[in-house]
Parts: sequence; structure tokens; C-alpha cells
Amino acid sequence: MDQGRRSFRNPFEVETPPGAEGWESMYPTYLQFGEELRERDEQKLWFFDQMHNPEPLYPFDLMMPESWLVSLNQYTTRVWNLPTALGIEHRIVNGYLYLSPNVIDDPAAMAEREPVFAERARHYFENWDEIYANWVDKATDCIERLKAIGFEPLPEREPLDTVLHARGTTTAFELLSTYSRYLENMHEMAYYHFEMLNLAYGAYLTFLEFCRSHFPAITDDLVARMVAGIDVILYRPDAELRRLAKRAVELGVGGVLTSGADPDGVQAELANSEAGRQWLTDLEEVKDPWFYYSTGSGYCHAKRAWIDDMRPPFAALADYVRRVERGEDLSRPLDQLRAERERIADGYRSLLDDDEVAGFDSLLALARQVFPFVENHNFYVEHWHHSIFFNKARDLGAVLVAAGLLDTDDDIFFLHRYEVYRVLYEAEARWALGVPTSSEYTWREEVARRRQIYAAFEKWNPPPALGVPPEKVTEPITVTLFGINTQTIDRWLAAEEDGGTADRLLGLAASPGTAEGVARVVNQVEELDQLEDGEILVCPLTAPSWSIVFARIAAAVSDGGGIMSHAAIVSREYGLPAVVATGVGTRVLHTGDRLRVDGGTGVVTVLERALPPAGTAPAGEVVGA
Amino acid sequence: MTDLHVAAAQVMGGDYVAVTENCLPEHVGHVGGKAVGLGSLLQAGQQVPASFVVTARAYREYQRGQTRGMTPELRTAIAGGYAALCVHGADVPVAVRSSAVVEDSAEASWAGQFQTFLGVSGSAEVLARVQECWAAALDPQVGAYRASQQPGEEAGGDDSGVAVIVQELVDARASGVMFTRHPETGDRSLVVIESSYGLGEAVVGGEVVPDLFEINKITREQHSSRLGSKHTEYRLAPGGRGVEARPVNEARQQAWSISEPEVMALAEVAVALEAKIGRGLDVEWAIGSAPSTHGEEALFTLQVRPITVDPRRRQDRRQRPAAGPGKGKDRDAIGHILGRLSGHDPGTGAG
Repeated sequence: MDQGRRSFRNPFEVETPPGAEGWESMYPTYLQFGEELRERDEQKLWFFDQMHNPEPLYPFDLMMPESWLVSLNQYTTRVWNLPTALGIEHRIVNGYLYLSPNVIDDPAAMAEREPVFAERARHYFENWDEIYANWVDKATDCIERLKAIGFEPLPEREPLDTVLHARGTTTAFELLSTYSRYLENMHEMAYYHFEMLNLAYGAYLTFLEFCRSHFPAITDDLVARMVAGIDVILYRPDAELRRLAKRAVELGVGGVLTSGADPDGVQAELANSEAGRQWLTDLEEVKDPWFYYSTGSGYCHAKRAWIDDMRPPFAALADYVRRVERGEDLSRPLDQLRAERERIADGYRSLLDDDEVAGFDSLLALARQVFPFVENHNFYVEHWHHSIFFNKARDLGAVLVAAGLLDTDDDIFFLHRYEVYRVLYEAEARWALGVPTSSEYTWREEVARRRQIYAAFEKWNPPPALGVPPEKVTEPITVTLFGINTQTIDRWLAAEEDGGTADRLLGLAASPGTAEGVARVVNQVEELDQLEDGEILVCPLTAPSWSIVFARIAAAVSDGGGIMSHAAIVSREYGLPAVVATGVGTRVLHTGDRLRVDGGTGVVTVLERALPPAGTAPAGEVVGA
Repeated sequence: MTDLHVAAAQVMGGDYVAVTENCLPEHVGHVGGKAVGLGSLLQAGQQVPASFVVTARAYREYQRGQTRGMTPELRTAIAGGYAALCVHGADVPVAVRSSAVVEDSAEASWAGQFQTFLGVSGSAEVLARVQECWAAALDPQVGAYRASQQPGEEAGGDDSGVAVIVQELVDARASGVMFTRHPETGDRSLVVIESSYGLGEAVVGGEVVPDLFEINKITREQHSSRLGSKHTEYRLAPGGRGVEARPVNEARQQAWSISEPEVMALAEVAVALEAKIGRGLDVEWAIGSAPSTHGEEALFTLQVRPITVDPRRRQDRRQRPAAGPGKGKDRDAIGHILGRLSGHDPGTGAG
């Protein structure tokens, strides 16, 4: 079968969705397809980065991918000198981020890099625990420095202190230099993000492949269950909620949490009693850091963290309180999970020949040694650090609103970070001049235009990939971090070819079991409250904070997700069938469709379509009202 | 040992018949590989249909005196063995099968080259069928096969010959074959179960496409399953004489031939047998009733042998990652990972 000729849409021939004309000016040209590289770029594979940016990119949020574009790729290309890969390129198409890996296949180039790579990577592997302990210190320090950064509106006049201390520079100068430090802080964290990740995934991948070569039928899920940590920081926020629920019941204030009032109302009511105040003190202690927990992947400012919007944690608290009152034990059975992990590993080990056992044990031990980093970095970087980072941007937005340059605090997210420099300079100039600058209204109009374009992006469905796939997807970071391999590409091609109308979707088998039920397509965390018990969650991607709904659903189907995606981990934890990386689930499945989800084979079957009859208004809309 | 085996042992005289439970690998030259397989199933504590073995010595005795027919001693011994199978009812239907000393070994699996009679009932018919098994073994064609297969050590140095197993016939609701590792990929973590309605002949003979179940030995979770096409089933004919092919209606064709608990029970048997007998087994099984279970349904194992891997399907071991870590200082886990990321091991396509 000649699959080499099959290809996705040409990236240069993708149409601009209506209303998004002129979108290109929102993003730097170095992140867009250009004629200069056309011949090369249209022959490459470009896959949609659904994992980090399922939503269109806000120009300011582009800071995140631009940071990892340099940090991840520098590690691959210049630091480790990975013999098989160069960096992963970025391109923006209609507001969505597409990525393209680059492999090295010249044997001479590979041979030249190999000893360099071996020496450097070995140093990290051999000193892993010590380097990881240092890593935690560096990451925490970076977060503390970020917390210390503050943006205040420019005062009417320079404070007297500047004069009395003969500082020489002013508040406006400080604003610009603080902004520089702020951006630097993000870049710095991005380096820590990828300092150990490539190697950790490499160790995991090697163990995975060892298992597959000896047990061809082994699933990713079983390998993950042998390696995954039990007491993982990423589960702490949820564990803290369980503990707080138990505590509320002990203090006799559980009823306030289940009263149905909003988080502010609940807290006000609690403040009226001694027991309630005791519980609130406990809550305050938990919030930093455990409520710096994004409802998204941590790459989009619009997905607020618990600390900013307490509705998701308070909804979970109410649910947990009810369960405690029913006499349920909410604590995770850690010993049981540990025993299960050993039982699986012992089971596979016992099936190996004597001369294979040492290899299995040493690779498993190393995979387990490096894996806490994989699991925990996510909390430090994407949740804790990024949540604070986005909130600081809002503070800066308020400074620009106060300067009369923007309309709302959130307008700043429609400006690229280097455009923000220009706006800040204008603010400084205006402050200096004491009279309006000529471009006073330009940014506000530009933001309004971009908001319209952004709304048009949201109506467009980004295809899972563009361009021409290689015969085999081998680039290790694409395979491990993004969970995209040759089979994924084949599945996407098949889905593209039947126009997305197929009643059978193939994804990765993420958590075993079969379930039938009604689909609920949920694109945003805010829509989760529409979900009814026993429905099948169909979503672009889940974030850890979505965990709270997993107790209520029958199965999960996500567009994105890889070997260790959140949806896969949590589904296994709840014993739910899950299929991840369907690529097109949220586009071809609809709320109300009856589905069968087979988490053992990765197949989602549409049993019955729930298309509304032609000519009727969508459910929930009142005609003629 | 069941009551029946005790009864059989008491009546058996001489070396002409043997108690199946006593058939150990070192007796292969005397009782044949199939009987040794049954013996190992019994020693492993499995439920096996009641049986006895007409030994190779009986065959040689018969061979010497062919012109005279079966001697009275032979008749008495075999009829005695059969009478012992009939303690739970008169004229119980049995299967009469050859158990040649070269058959069922790892090197040569040519099941089907020897005789099998199903639904044999009554002493006279049992004697007649045993005699037919002997006659088939004398067939020059079978003799040529045996010569080419060179039994060697497997035969325990004994004379060549054929033993015959007389075994009560299970009225099987479903039966089939299972493998304690994947017969094609060699995956050791899977039990692969093939199942169809009725007696196993339809599956063994390739007449139907059986249902297929793959069970993970470690988690006991079902890895995959495939509904077969089971249009025919062989059942014991009314009155217990012979077996007959019956059509399977559409509804039953579309249903699984065994239930999920039965799949899991079979997997448990497979894992238990590997622990007792060794790795890589091919097990014939049936679920049904038999006189020895007083008509109660039970899961029987009928045969066990090492998996014969079709050389075309055998996984090429050279495809495996070379040495693996742990072999010498340069192939520790770190070395293995560095090698993988440098594109050396298969799977990267960049080596």
C-alpha cells in the first residue's frame, strides 16, 4: 500500500474563515507560512497542537509556545545534541498552532552528535535525583520571584521618595524594566520546563518499547500503570478538596457547602460561625499553591485557575461533602494502588526468560526514577507558574486601562508581548508629556478588530494535520510528548478521507472497558455543569481540574492526548473506559448521539445520531420570543 | 483420584491397559504422548473425562498374533477398562483415539494422522474401534510418516507403536482450543481462546471460524475478542451412538459461544497449567456434562501439548532489540536509553 502519497490539506491552501480576514497581522510573521519556504513547508507534516493550545491563540498567550519553541528546541538541538532530531517548528494557521518535527537522518551527522549526546545525557541520568531536587528549588524560586513582580498604574506625580533618595530613574522606567523582568521570568521557567523532560520521556519510551518488543499486545495503559507514581503532586489539589470536605463535616459546616450558594455566599455564611471561620482558615492555607490549578492546559489565560474562579472547587467540595455524609471513604487507597502497580510489574517480570529480567528491571527502575519529574513538573510549570503569570498580565492590563490606552484589563491578551512594549512606551510618553499622544485610540480599535477575528477563529474547525506526513513518524518528542505516531497519522488520514461523517472513530486505547451512553460535547470547563450523570464526555482535552466530573460520567473521549494524558490517567483512576487522540471527536460527534466507547481497542462507535430535524431551532433557543 | 480411576486401577491387569493418571513423560514409549498429556492434566488437578489407556504393549501383542485376532487376555483387559468407565451408567459413550509415541511432541505435531472415533458405545464396539486404531497404525503410509519424523529420545528408547485412549465423551455445549501464549506473535502475556458450539471437531478440523478471546494473564482483563462464524456444531447423537453435525441457527451464530465467566475460568486454567506443566501450551477443552460428573456441567481439559509454532509465523528473534540492558557495562539502562534516542534500536527508522 502506497501510503507515502497520502496527504493532508496543503497548508498554503487553507481558507480564511469569514470574518477573520487580515488575521495575519495579529501574529509575528516568523510564525506564519511564507512563500520563501513554500516548497519545503508544503512537503512537511504540520500537526495541530491540540494538547497545549486547543483554542485559538491569543496574541499575548503566544508567549507560552514561543517560550517553548526556544527552550525545548534548544535542549534538543544545542544542549543535548539529540542524534536523531532537530527542533520542532511552529506555524499559526487561522489562529491555531501547528507543529512540525525535524529528524536527522544523515548517518554522519548522527554519528557526530552521538558522543556529545551520550556524555551530556548520561550526566543527567546518573545524577537524576540530585538534579531533580535542585530543579524543585529553582522552579520554586522562579515562582517566588514572579509573585514579587507587581504592576501599578502610573501615579499622578512621581513619589517624593524618588527625589529624597535621589534615585534618578522613575516609576515609568520601573514599569518597563519590570515588564522585561516579567517576560524573562517566563522564559526562565520555560527552560526549567524542558530541562529534564526530553530525557525523562526518552527513558519512559525506551521502557515502553522494551515491553512492546517482549509483549506485543501490551497496552500503553499497562506500561503507564507499572511506571506512574502514586503520590503525585498533580493529584494534591483534588486530595486537598477531599480533606477539606471531610473537615467541613467534622466541624459541622458541611451543610453550608452543599447549600447551593455561590462560593462568595458560602464563604460569607461560613464567616458567621466559629467552626466556619476555622474551616476558612484551613482553606486559606491550602490555596497557595494548591488552588493555582488551571481549568485548562495552562497555556491559555481564559482558562482560569481555581484561585481565580472558585466555582469548580466549590462544586467538587459540595459533592465530596455529600459523599462523606453518606459514609464514603474519600481517601485514595494509596497502599492498594502501590500493590496493584507491583502486581502488574511482577506479573510481566514472571513471564520473561531469565536473561531478560535484568533488562526489564533496570529500565523499569529508571523509568520510575525519572517519572516523578514528568508528573510533577506539570503542576509547578503549567499550573502554579502560568496561573500567576496570566494574573500579572491582567494587572498590567489594568495599568494600560488606567493610562487610557485599552478599554478592559483583558484587552492586553489581544496584543503580542512585543506590541505591549510599544503600548507601554506610549503610556510612558503620555505620562511624560502630560498631553495625549496621537495614536491614543489606535490600540483600542485594533483590539476591537482582533476580538472579532478571534470570534471567527472559534467557529473554524482546525484539521488535525496539514501537509505531507513522513512514511514513519519517528521524532522522539513528537511520539512521546505529543503522542503522535504513524498509526495516529493513518487514523487522521482515514477520518479526513471520509469527511468526518464516519460512525466509527479510532483513537488511542487509554483506559480499558466498554460503555454505552449519550454523548455530551464539552468544549470549555464552564460547560461542564450541563453534563448529566452517566453521559459520555466528549471534549477537546481534559485538564486535571476536570477530574471532579469523572465520578459522574460513563466514559471519556478526547480529541487530543498522548501516552500519559490527563484524561487517560484520571479515567484509569476512576475505572472508566477512555479513548483519547481521536483528533476529530468534538467535530463529528454531537451532544445527544448514542455512543459505544471501547477503551480497550480505542474505538468509538456512533449507535444513533441525534441530529436535530432540519428547519428547527437548536435546543434551548426560543423562536420568536 | 476419582472413584472411577480407583475402580479402573483395580480391574486392570497386566501391562495391556494403564491408568491415565499414572501416565508420566517417561512412559511415553508405552502409553503415547496424548496419554502423557492427559496424565499431566490430571496431575495438575484439572477435570479430565474419565479414561484408560490401551498400551503400546497391547498393540505389539496384537501385531504378533494378528492372524489369530485379539487374544482373550487383551479382550479381558480392555473390556475391564471400559467396564470401569461404566460405573455411572451402562454403555457410556466414549471416544477411542490413537496415542502414538511420536505424536504430540514439540517437534512433530501431526494430529489427525491417527484414528479418532467419537460416540463409541458398548464393550463390543470399543474392542472393534481399538482394533481399527491398531490397523491404521500398521498402514504403510503412517509408517512412512513416522520414519520421517524420527521419534528419537521422545520415544524413550522403547519400541515404536501405538497406544489407544478410551475416554468418556463429554456432551459438549461448547469447546475449543486455547493457547497459553499468542500462537502468532508469541506474546507470553496473553491467553488466546478459540471456542465454538458442540464438540471440538468443528474447531480442530477448521470447519468453523471459532469465537476468539484474548485475555491478559496479569490483569485477567479481556484484551480483545472476535465473534466467529459458527454455522455447524457436532453433538452426541441421541442414544450416545456416534456424533452428528447440526446447523446452528442465526441467533446463536451471532451470540458468543461461551459466557464471560467461562472465558475467565478458561484463562485461569491456562495460567494454572503453565505454572504446573511449563510455558507455551496448547490446550483442548470442553464445557459440558459427562457420566463421571453425574450429568453436571463442568469445564474439562481434554488435551495439552507444547505449542507448535508455524515457522512462517514464528517471531523472528533477530528483530528483538539486540542484547538489552544488563549485559555488560555498556548496556546498562542508561546505555539502552541513549542507544534508543540515538536511533539504534528498531522503531526509530533512523538507524
